[in-house]
Amino acid sequence: MNYINEHLGIGKAGNLFVILSFVFALVASISYFLASRDNEEAASWKRIARISFRIHGLSVAGIVGTLFVMLYSHYFEYEYVWHHSSKDMPMRYILSCFWEGQEGSFLLWTFWHVVIGLILQRTAKTFEAPVMATISLVQAFLASMLLGIFVFEHRIGSNPFTVLLRNQPDFANIPLFQNPHYLDKLDGRGLNPLLQNYWMTIHPPTLFLGFALTVVPFAYAIAGLWKKQYNEWIKPALPWAFLGVAILGIGILMGGAWAYEALSFGGFWAWDPVENASLVPWLTLVGTAHLMIINKNNGQSLLAAFFLAVLTFVLILYSTFLTRSGILGESSVHAFTDLGMSGQLLIYLFFFLILGVYLIIKNWKYFPRQSQEEGIWSREFWMFVGAVVLLVSSFQIMFYTSMPVWNKLFDLHKAPAKDVIAFYNNWQLPFAFITTLLIAVGQYLKYKHTGLVEFLKKIAISFILSFALTIWVIYMLNFDKQYYSILLFSSIFAAISNANYMVMVLKGKIKKAGASVAHVGFALVMLGVLLSTSKKDVISRNTSTKSVSALGEKFSDDDNILLTKGDTLPMGKYMVTYTGKCAEGINIKFDVDYFLRDASGNLKKEFTLSPLVQTNPRMGNVAEPDTRHFPTFDVYTHVTYADLEKIKEEKNENKDEYDVEKIKSLKRGDTIFSSNAIIIFDSISTNVDRQKNKIEENDIAIVAHLRAIAVSKKYDATPIYVIHSNMVLPIPFELEPLGLLFTFRKINPSNGEIEISLQEKKSNTKDFIVMQAMIFPYINILWIGAIIMALGTFLAIVERIRK
Amino acid sequence: MKKVHIIIIIIIAVAIGAIFTTLNNTSTYADFGEAAKEPGNEFHVVGKRDKDKEMVYNPKVDANLFSFYMTDNNGVECKVVLHKNKPQDFEHSEQIVLIGKMKMPEKEFQASDILMKCPSKYNDGKPQASK
Repeated sequence: MNYINEHLGIGKAGNLFVILSFVFALVASISYFLASRDNEEAASWKRIARISFRIHGLSVAGIVGTLFVMLYSHYFEYEYVWHHSSKDMPMRYILSCFWEGQEGSFLLWTFWHVVIGLILQRTAKTFEAPVMATISLVQAFLASMLLGIFVFEHRIGSNPFTVLLRNQPDFANIPLFQNPHYLDKLDGRGLNPLLQNYWMTIHPPTLFLGFALTVVPFAYAIAGLWKKQYNEWIKPALPWAFLGVAILGIGILMGGAWAYEALSFGGFWAWDPVENASLVPWLTLVGTAHLMIINKNNGQSLLAAFFLAVLTFVLILYSTFLTRSGILGESSVHAFTDLGMSGQLLIYLFFFLILGVYLIIKNWKYFPRQSQEEGIWSREFWMFVGAVVLLVSSFQIMFYTSMPVWNKLFDLHKAPAKDVIAFYNNWQLPFAFITTLLIAVGQYLKYKHTGLVEFLKKIAISFILSFALTIWVIYMLNFDKQYYSILLFSSIFAAISNANYMVMVLKGKIKKAGASVAHVGFALVMLGVLLSTSKKDVISRNTSTKSVSALGEKFSDDDNILLTKGDTLPMGKYMVTYTGKCAEGINIKFDVDYFLRDASGNLKKEFTLSPLVQTNPRMGNVAEPDTRHFPTFDVYTHVTYADLEKIKEEKNENKDEYDVEKIKSLKRGDTIFSSNAIIIFDSISTNVDRQKNKIEENDIAIVAHLRAIAVSKKYDATPIYVIHSNMVLPIPFELEPLGLLFTFRKINPSNGEIEISLQEKKSNTKDFIVMQAMIFPYINILWIGAIIMALGTFLAIVERIRK
Repeated sequence: MKKVHIIIIIIIAVAIGAIFTTLNNTSTYADFGEAAKEPGNEFHVVGKRDKDKEMVYNPKVDANLFSFYMTDNNGVECKVVLHKNKPQDFEHSEQIVLIGKMKMPEKEFQASDILMKCPSKYNDGKPQASK
């Protein structure tokens, strides 16, 4: 079949770039390897290697450019373009489409490595050859993830340029492809609605840059071991390690901010496996960087520094494996699929793990040893302890998160606990406590030995201030969780002590204050997390006049509140009214007004929040929250259930009329539902007041006893079945308070089954939403702390580069 | 003993503690049959919504009560009572994971939480002609 207007040339060009990128990464890696030797040919190999890496870089740029052109021009004949974009998508989301798919995100990662590699080519000097050899090898592996070729029936990688939509096995027999002009009518699937926001444009590149930066300490560590320069690699690698700390940290916090702003799970951190998989390497990277500082200043902790540098990079590969292999399937809310590359990722992971471990073991005995052991009152001892605590914390997180892996390996069927958040929080609390405590005292400790009296004098003022502030906070906030109070103290202590250090010891010299500022920022992040999470108040918790669960086991108190249009209900300190919904593009917004009582007792409208539901018939509807930010707290709301039909109100309907009949057959004990009550059929009897109901002596009259249970009350309904002169003339029962009309239509005498018709007043089916609302106190401390932490880290990096 | 060795021993002790509490803080994946054998225990049950059977959600009565029928991965069907709101887009779910306990003798699964896998962005939808 000759298809019209397909753009096959560009796919071939893209594929060529992919092959070139792989080949030249390999060539660069081999050339740099040969350039690392200490012989005469090394110099010429280095030249070849440099050129090869640059050609590799150009090829990567070519891949990126080609993919962009294809996305921009809507070449839906390519499966990747069809899968991740559509004609009506605004161009600002084109970046998001680029890395929405696995191939695109591998490409993003590869791209960052190219940038890093090109910089290192200029700055690494004597370390250039071994470091670049390692990085080029990593690049070769990453480039292979894009190859999409078959070797012995195994596919290596997945190539966005060689997979045409019509060749995809799932779509082989679709009628659309019998038409040679299919391209004229084809539109793409489009971007997942959850990803159509600015976060998708900034979060992945930041996060992937963070991932990419972990390769630098790793490559330097490998280089140091390989060339037997056990200490010299630390100084050049140190700024890179901290750059990784800053960027990866920002990337992770961005993810948290995105979840908080756009997802309806109600928070910024869910200990979700994908979140954990990024956090753990960050923790070990922080450990690595601090151990590197110790070694640079004091020569200690070399083995630990090597170990953590290798571990951090391997953990990044492991996290890639976890998130892309589909193994997390049921335990994570991030939906992933196995593109069949998990085997490749595992090979990749084990290769570098074994390489690193082998080199460490082989060289360990040659490490320069320190003559004395580190004193217990020394900075290096406690920083070492800190790194160890971070390592153990990472282990706990990783072990639990890897449950699906253990399940697969040992054929277990373990599922995560119902309340994983509490589980992780309880475990991580002591680690966070120790870490913040160490941050508080660390800078006051001297290398080798600190005089105890001197130390206590310097730290006393911070300690006393922090203690007092902690007591004050506990009192003011009614902070009743004793277990968490220790973290409250240690974070406040860390913040005040580092601020004090900046003022008293550094005498306000900003240039040297990088570490102190970063530590203050981190302490504030911990404080913000602690306060907003432990004092989170779910104001939409069922606060109706009676406890719903008292009505029976079928009911439950929970976090949701039902708001009927026009009614005003109390929620926390506010009174809220749901005023209506309206459609804006693909979003349906639900407007809720928030009122407070003023001094004279009148309700004054404070603000309106409009959580929305984004409709997407292909991907499913998604609820997005709306949050009101105040300086000392946030009001966060989202819709958990809404009827999305009937957006336009029928204005002229008589709301007092009864709607159509719903007919139900009931046995004794059966239950039917109206929109506002549960109705139970208890019994029938012949005990009827004939006079009151004007029933004659000869008529047959049977009454059905129904019980209607609504939110706060119970009612009895007694419709009557009458046979008069061989005609069935039921006497309906009108239950006014609930707007229900019951008619007893039929009875089957043999089995006691009856037929009841139920009619509701039209006003019963008033529009409503089910909503959740939470107050997050002092959450702004978290975001401010994050910014301060980033600033401090960058300050420290700049200072180190200058030295 | 060298201080470093003490530290390492402490690490190992804590790590063992982490492993131990991990194993004690897990639920188990099971099907309806297994859950029925241990009615008081919490399980995770994976399955698909039964499209032919009714779903009941009356938020005006109780916004946190939703019942439906699910078939587990062994083909066994069971009525499920979820003590939460009806998830948005429940009809589109491909796979459901329920967390809860089986109630006997009524053979109803009382679920306290639900995880849904909606059409995966990688699997769903066939190419269609645009209008």
